[in-house]
Amino acid sequence: MSNTFRLSSGPHFRDRHDTASIMKLVCISLMPATIAGVYFNGIRALIILTLCIGSAVLSEYLFDLACHKPSTIKDSSAVVTGLLLGLSLSNEVPLYQPVLGAIFAIVVAKCSFGGLGKNFINPALAGRCFLLISFGASMTRFDVDGVSSATPLALLKGGKAVNITKMFLGSSNSLIGGSILALIIGGLFLWSLDIIHTPISTSVIVSFSLMMLLFGGQGFDLRFLAAHLCGGGLMMGALFMATDYTTSPSGRTAQVIYGCIIGCLGALFRIAGSGDSFSYAIIIGNLFTPLLDMYVVPKPYAYRKSAVAARNGDKTGLSVPKPVITLTLITVLAGVALGGVYSLTKDAIDEQKRLASLASYKNVLPAAESFENVEKADLAIEDLDGEVYGKGFGRVYINEAYVGKDASGNIAGYVVNVTSMDGYDGNITLTVGLEPDGTVISIAFTHLNETPGMGMRAGEPEFRDQFNGRKVDSFVLNKGSSSGGDNSIDTVSGASTTSGAVVGAVNAALDFFRNYMKGGN
Amino acid sequence: MKELFRGGVHPQDHKDLSRSSPLRAFDWTGEMVFPLAQHIGKPAKVIVSKGDRVLAGQCIGEADGFVSANVICSCSGTVKAIEKRRTIAGTIQECVVVDGDGLFELLPGVGEECDVYALSGEEILKKIADAGVIGLGGAGFPTRVKLSPKDPSAIRYLIANGAECEPYLCCNDQLMRSCPEEIVKGMELMLRLFPNAKGVVAIEDNKPEAIAAMKVAAASHEGIVVMPMKTKYPQGGERSLIKAVAGIDYPASMLPADVGCIVCNVGTIYASYRAVAFNEPLFRHVLTVSGEDVVSPCNLIVRDGTPFSALLEEAGGLKEGAEPKKALAGGPMMGVAVASLDVPVVKTTNALTILSVDPDEGKDGKYDPCISCGRCGSVCPNGLMPMMMMEAAENGDWERYEKKLYGLECFFCGSCSYICPAKRPLTQTFKLMKAEILAKKRAEAAGGKK
Repeated sequence: MSNTFRLSSGPHFRDRHDTASIMKLVCISLMPATIAGVYFNGIRALIILTLCIGSAVLSEYLFDLACHKPSTIKDSSAVVTGLLLGLSLSNEVPLYQPVLGAIFAIVVAKCSFGGLGKNFINPALAGRCFLLISFGASMTRFDVDGVSSATPLALLKGGKAVNITKMFLGSSNSLIGGSILALIIGGLFLWSLDIIHTPISTSVIVSFSLMMLLFGGQGFDLRFLAAHLCGGGLMMGALFMATDYTTSPSGRTAQVIYGCIIGCLGALFRIAGSGDSFSYAIIIGNLFTPLLDMYVVPKPYAYRKSAVAARNGDKTGLSVPKPVITLTLITVLAGVALGGVYSLTKDAIDEQKRLASLASYKNVLPAAESFENVEKADLAIEDLDGEVYGKGFGRVYINEAYVGKDASGNIAGYVVNVTSMDGYDGNITLTVGLEPDGTVISIAFTHLNETPGMGMRAGEPEFRDQFNGRKVDSFVLNKGSSSGGDNSIDTVSGASTTSGAVVGAVNAALDFFRNYMKGGN
Repeated sequence: MKELFRGGVHPQDHKDLSRSSPLRAFDWTGEMVFPLAQHIGKPAKVIVSKGDRVLAGQCIGEADGFVSANVICSCSGTVKAIEKRRTIAGTIQECVVVDGDGLFELLPGVGEECDVYALSGEEILKKIADAGVIGLGGAGFPTRVKLSPKDPSAIRYLIANGAECEPYLCCNDQLMRSCPEEIVKGMELMLRLFPNAKGVVAIEDNKPEAIAAMKVAAASHEGIVVMPMKTKYPQGGERSLIKAVAGIDYPASMLPADVGCIVCNVGTIYASYRAVAFNEPLFRHVLTVSGEDVVSPCNLIVRDGTPFSALLEEAGGLKEGAEPKKALAGGPMMGVAVASLDVPVVKTTNALTILSVDPDEGKDGKYDPCISCGRCGSVCPNGLMPMMMMEAAENGDWERYEKKLYGLECFFCGSCSYICPAKRPLTQTFKLMKAEILAKKRAEAAGGKK
């Protein structure tokens, strides 16, 4: 009976969960979002997801093989990475992009830093951002029923109404994993198993909401907030990406700080940036993780202030840490102050805005002294309900249309304000001034944010003034060097996307004018 | 229902194997081995020599210093040798080896009832010390020392630890079910030392019979209450109990008495009562023999010095074809693995557990990488950050380990290692770290003196 037993230091019991089983639970929690994504986007979404997962697992396998390391694919973490990457892509991406993204995620972001547990940024997000930077246009493409359309977030940014219910269910999100309902179900599942770090998700969402309400420019508008919460990659980011174990801090306080960094940056990017940049917010948050883990370490219970107080017999009963109270107070005060100022100045600001746009309308229609609504046109705009106008103009939206009258009350002309989402770098908003007979007087840009030296040159007179004084049904972009017909517009060299968007916008304005305004009032 | 310590885990308890097996005395005859260091503190001094005839209950090793305890012979027989033998801890220690004669003749006076009400506090403490009573929960702290805090009037709670949160163990459950009166009387004796203290019997709620029995016994005693605790490991840890009963967290640098609490295992209280009221030294105690491969797991009243192999035989031996992987002195969470069964039972041995599965088998010291899931941190009853401590230990950053992460607060309950999905040896590493850091400190202190 001697020396028959194994020796080792205790404990001699282990929980049944291992790394692979946790990864599998994460995969299960993503299933509702996957199913919803395939349901709303069709078989193509399934192909994209399969490609992502397949290439992620395969590249990890090959990397390990090439490095003569034992294969690590059994821990299922590559499956999670691939699935997350696939869910964060648009259904319209060319099929080579998921493969490239997954390879980048696994080989560059994960394996070359030492594999599972060693990566410093979330691999799936790294893959997504790699694709965003490399193939910006196709990554943000978003089609509804085969028609190219703006993402709900882009609509929001353009001040349009969006269908929040659709966004919540996931039928109108730009991402495959865009069903907020499904994501929340998955998140709750992980929460019930205590796998997700709830302080992170909570602080991301709360800080994002606060930032949006305070600085979103819409005041305390819950619909606006809900639309933003349901839009783009926020919910997936907050529930599944920011909470990635390896790249998020471990201490409770550090997790809250980390969540707030991501939430605030995400809101900032949404307010001031273009497109959906929540991925970048999370990646920047990831970079703070080592710092937070180094310096923001929770004290053992026995060393916390409340414990010391309890030992000394001080029963304060209040164990909420001071910073929490202070921060909450500051936030509430700032919110109340900003909200108050906003509501006090809202009318004045709106009046100023109106005057400013009127001034811009006067630029394109100098003969007009006053601008009045056109009933038919207003009804048409209302009917559009934030949808793309017409066919063949690209993703163009009609914002406003007025009839301009001179001092004696005669019709001096018309103005139409339109926005095109087809710019190279976001949207282009411009106003077209028209003679009563439909001749273009001039156009003016109210929002143009294209590549400097290229697309931005669309705003220069050389391009802009080509429209002036011409009366055509529609303009055609002349891409060649030879001069085209009398409706041709020469493209800005090196910026055909921008030029095309401008021409589309002007054509839409002309079309709208002919259909709803000509001869009105 | 109390659940006031944070963290903790819920390992499968496997208590059904031995839960319903009543205590039975197990008197084994043969070569009994008594290590001289069964307690925390200095080893006892041998006071017998080879060839002497000794009796059950006779002191054979005398406490050497304040923090030390008497070693008691558990059988009658002849001292065969005083030599170095292997003990549970795996080390080789000075032991008294007695050849039992099978008569179990008691030392005269042992078992004589005395009038406990006539005793002063000082006399009670002396009797407990003479009986060699130490904490039977595992640490083996001399009970006399524990019961002599600087300011006895500052003690608010005397906690009888009947939590028994280790998987497999049922011996204290059985002790509480069969001897509740003695435990309550023992508490009463101890409470006489602490005028302002209240007695609390803390029992996990997976032992309803023990709770009921203790409640009946405590009903007639004002100042002693039974407090059922939510079942959660390590509920029976001293710090977890004090947090649950008194609501106080205290650091490792403090003793329970510093926060007004004294925690004694129910076994210790029983032994103290027998020592004071019946002059019976501590030479036998309750113990569980259990494991899936054991034919009939049981709870025994076993004499110190009995070899582990005899315990297994008494429990029917191993099942046919069984291939046990590990033998543990104690339960699977905090127990110590022994290489062979020819080591003796000591006072603090509360179980022999045979494990048929070894989670570390085939790992060869390799383990998965940490994915920072944070489970270790959320189960730590001290609020430590094991994953960071592990990283600091691996990086050799002792400064951060000790100062920033409070690594020395760890009392090795094993919850973090249990829960870790990557099966990393967290607790195991922390044990080494503590030993190394303390050794370094001692070396520095010694160097300073020179």
